Amino acid sequence: MLKLAAQRLVALVPLLFIVSLLTFSITDLLPGNPADLIVGDDATQEQVDLVHERLGLDQPWPQRYWDWLTDAVQGDLGTSFFNSVEVTDAVLLRLPVTLSLTLAAVVVALFIGISAGLIAALRPGGWTDRAATAGATIGQALPNFWLALVLAVVFAVKIRWFPATGYIPLTESPGAWLRSITLPAIALGVGAAAILARQTRSAMVGVLQTDYVRAARAQGLSARRVVLKHALKNAMLPVVTVLAFQVTVLLGGAIIVEQVFAVNGLGSLAVTAVRRQDVPLVQGVVIVSVIVVVLVQLVTDLLYGYLNPKARPS
Amino acid sequence: MTLVSPDSGPGAPPASRPGAGAASDLLGSRQRFARRFFAKRAVIPASLIVLAVLVAGIFAPWLAPYDPLDQSLLDTMQGPSSEHWLGTDDLGRDVLSRLIFGARIALIAVAQAMTVAVVIGVPIGLFIGYMGGWWDRIVMRVVEAVVSVPGIMVVIVIITVLGTGLTKAMIALGLLFSTAFLRLARGLVVAEREELYVRAARVVGAGTVRIVRKQILPNIAAPLIVQITLTTGAVLLAEAGLSFLGLAVQPPDASWGTMLTTASRFINLHPWLALPPGIAIALVVLAVNLLGDAIRDSIGRGVGETAVLRPGADGAAARSSIAGRPSPGPQARAGVPTDAVLVVSSLHVQFPSPRGVPLTVVSDVSLHVRPGETLGLVGESGCGKSVTAMAVLGLVPEPGAATAEAILVGGQDVAAMSRRDLEHVRGTQAAAVFQDPTTSLNPAFRIGDQLSEILRIKRGMSRSAARKRAVELLDMVGIPDAAARTRSFPHELSGGMAQRVAIARALSCEPKLLIADEPTTALDVTVQAEVLALLRDLQRELGMGMLFITHDLAVVADICDRAAVMYAGEIVEQAEVTELFANPRHPYTEGLLGAVPQTAHRGTALRSIPGVVPQPGEWPTGCRFAPRCPYATAECTAAPIASVTQDTHLFRCVRAAELTLEGAQ
Repeated sequence: MLKLAAQRLVALVPLLFIVSLLTFSITDLLPGNPADLIVGDDATQEQVDLVHERLGLDQPWPQRYWDWLTDAVQGDLGTSFFNSVEVTDAVLLRLPVTLSLTLAAVVVALFIGISAGLIAALRPGGWTDRAATAGATIGQALPNFWLALVLAVVFAVKIRWFPATGYIPLTESPGAWLRSITLPAIALGVGAAAILARQTRSAMVGVLQTDYVRAARAQGLSARRVVLKHALKNAMLPVVTVLAFQVTVLLGGAIIVEQVFAVNGLGSLAVTAVRRQDVPLVQGVVIVSVIVVVLVQLVTDLLYGYLNPKARPS
Repeated sequence: MTLVSPDSGPGAPPASRPGAGAASDLLGSRQRFARRFFAKRAVIPASLIVLAVLVAGIFAPWLAPYDPLDQSLLDTMQGPSSEHWLGTDDLGRDVLSRLIFGARIALIAVAQAMTVAVVIGVPIGLFIGYMGGWWDRIVMRVVEAVVSVPGIMVVIVIITVLGTGLTKAMIALGLLFSTAFLRLARGLVVAEREELYVRAARVVGAGTVRIVRKQILPNIAAPLIVQITLTTGAVLLAEAGLSFLGLAVQPPDASWGTMLTTASRFINLHPWLALPPGIAIALVVLAVNLLGDAIRDSIGRGVGETAVLRPGADGAAARSSIAGRPSPGPQARAGVPTDAVLVVSSLHVQFPSPRGVPLTVVSDVSLHVRPGETLGLVGESGCGKSVTAMAVLGLVPEPGAATAEAILVGGQDVAAMSRRDLEHVRGTQAAAVFQDPTTSLNPAFRIGDQLSEILRIKRGMSRSAARKRAVELLDMVGIPDAAARTRSFPHELSGGMAQRVAIARALSCEPKLLIADEPTTALDVTVQAEVLALLRDLQRELGMGMLFITHDLAVVADICDRAAVMYAGEIVEQAEVTELFANPRHPYTEGLLGAVPQTAHRGTALRSIPGVVPQPGEWPTGCRFAPRCPYATAECTAAPIASVTQDTHLFRCVRAAELTLEGAQ
């Protein structure tokens, strides 16, 4: 397992490098001079030049990338164009919020998706299968932010089970955190649940027809045990692959759902940054998200290795 | 359905390449596509919804009752009325009109994003697929990097550069989705190139442009359309989301996303506002996704649609996979020894068929196995021998149903058993070894764990006792260094070793009956003999009965005491092996014996039985073998043939008395 982890980690370095290169090049792709953006319309040429120099824009491109990269590796992602806020601080302040929402949505997606897919697979063509498949098809079509609005109206405004807006950190009060995160997590997780349900169903239908499932039944193991242990571990293989991608999707979706519930995560930070073309802040949000995605991939790779002995390096 | 027509124009020659016949297949099966496509229930309503959006978007100015931007501050936040069918919003604008103009925005958004995605993705994909090498490696690395970033982040980065607005956001979206089209096009070219190398077309000098035009473009149309349809739903959701965030369509323009922004601001006061745009988005995305699925399934070569025995009616018959028939009394089991470990009397197995008439695959099979005895069940594939064996364990695959007068395993009638009791019988009274050892062991668990799990659950052993016993069992079946081997996974074993493990598993609870379903067929010839010898030794040692299923008469001669020959779902002959080989009484047995090199008469040519085994449902009414039988007469096909028993020799042939059949040495 350690060997697998090390292998995967090394493989992720080039990915991070390319992403950093791409996000860094935003500055140079911006139409016009970023310095103009910062100083405003009525600034003098001297002021523009000063900012230009402060940003290091007079340096050649490779030099600037190198400076930025060495800073970034040490945890310094630069300063916002518009206020003196350190990007690293701003991003790290919001990251736990978005992460906990994403993680809660993953839990929702796994729970609904796997159980629905499993129930559907036990009797292919039966009414449970048709209901689960129909549910998954609809779930995939619902815009998460609209579902968020509907959930907020029903469960927060009409019946006041959950707060309509706001986020309470886990460290402050676990109970209040759970209440504040429930509706956003469901709104965000339903789409991924639909995809996981489809994947689980088709994988499980296949696995339940295999020889080893028949052999386990022939050996007198109970249906429950064969399905939940022998078959499920094998059926989870393709599901894990899909899950890795879905976590990425959920991280992006969190940005939108946060807006509905007025949760101050990476979403509002990113939207403000984009509107003002605050390049360092955009870069920071993207780089940090990619690091999260990369770590998630690492975890799913290890999970895959656990589920599939053939994938382990010998 | 000219939409999916893969040829580039009228008179284009059909692609005549071997192997990759997707294009020619499609060409010939346009009607089949249409039939499959419209056979799906959701297709018509989904098409209607898409059509409605197209009409609404194109004719918006004529269809909308009001100007979507016309404010009327006296009529704000109204519910549905005869004047405003869907009410008005915070500025008194007509919601229905805004919804209709929103459809126009949705169309524009899809058209823009899709154009960018296809125009950028496909050519680059074709190019790098064709060039290969560094071009391919570098571009694909970048694509991987882009794909690993949450999509909305990519779009945000691009919008940072381009600025906000519908067209700019859709260019960003198009760039994001171009990765999917790039990979699609590249994949097709790479597959094509590999084939080209095989055919050495490049050496002959087929030009790049020619290859792309003749080979790639005809093949790309179908998957491209599927990809476009499936991406459309994603674009619609993304456009709504970006507009909701204020990054795409800007107020006061009406898009479904901006309408939801408004709705979210007034959600406490006027939740109604969220319904029309939300339902519109969900319905359209649902419709487009359903169409995409339907197109994909219809273009595919019917994978998963062939469904030989798909349950048409999975009624009560399927649910009770074994149902007892009224007991016929002892006389039905005459000639069956009282100590038999397996008694099957009058077993029938049926599957529901699409036409409604149940399909019989096993009819009136009776047999028994004594302790220490091996009964061979012989027949060609599809004759029902494996289904018979599965019925003994109550494991006829769904939706099949087995009925029998009795199936006694170790004296207990499994045909009348609860599921729980049945699970208890399996493993302890009767266990099975299957044909392919590499697939009958669970690939995800270590073999030691697979063995000790059974010992712990079925025999109540402690963890450590089970582990110790597992090593003993592996040792017993001749696995060298058994203790270390318990930590192996099935894929680390050879076929012969894996089958030994499977045998150890089957014997772990010391069953009285072992069902061996072609246990040597999948093994190397040299290993076959070893596994047969192992089974024979273990049987002698443990004194268990064995039901040995095979198509190989040489193996029967080697290991069986008695044999039952099955043909088309019924037993046609049953006798001691020596008797069966020396004096076959059924022409089918004679035919089988003549087809086996080891048993055929020296100096005579090997014979084969003409014709093929009839499929279930196509069995003749009289003797089922009659159409292939060299001795068949009119009386053979008149009525079903009853079986006759002389001494211990059973046969099902009306002409048995008059025929002198040739046996084997």
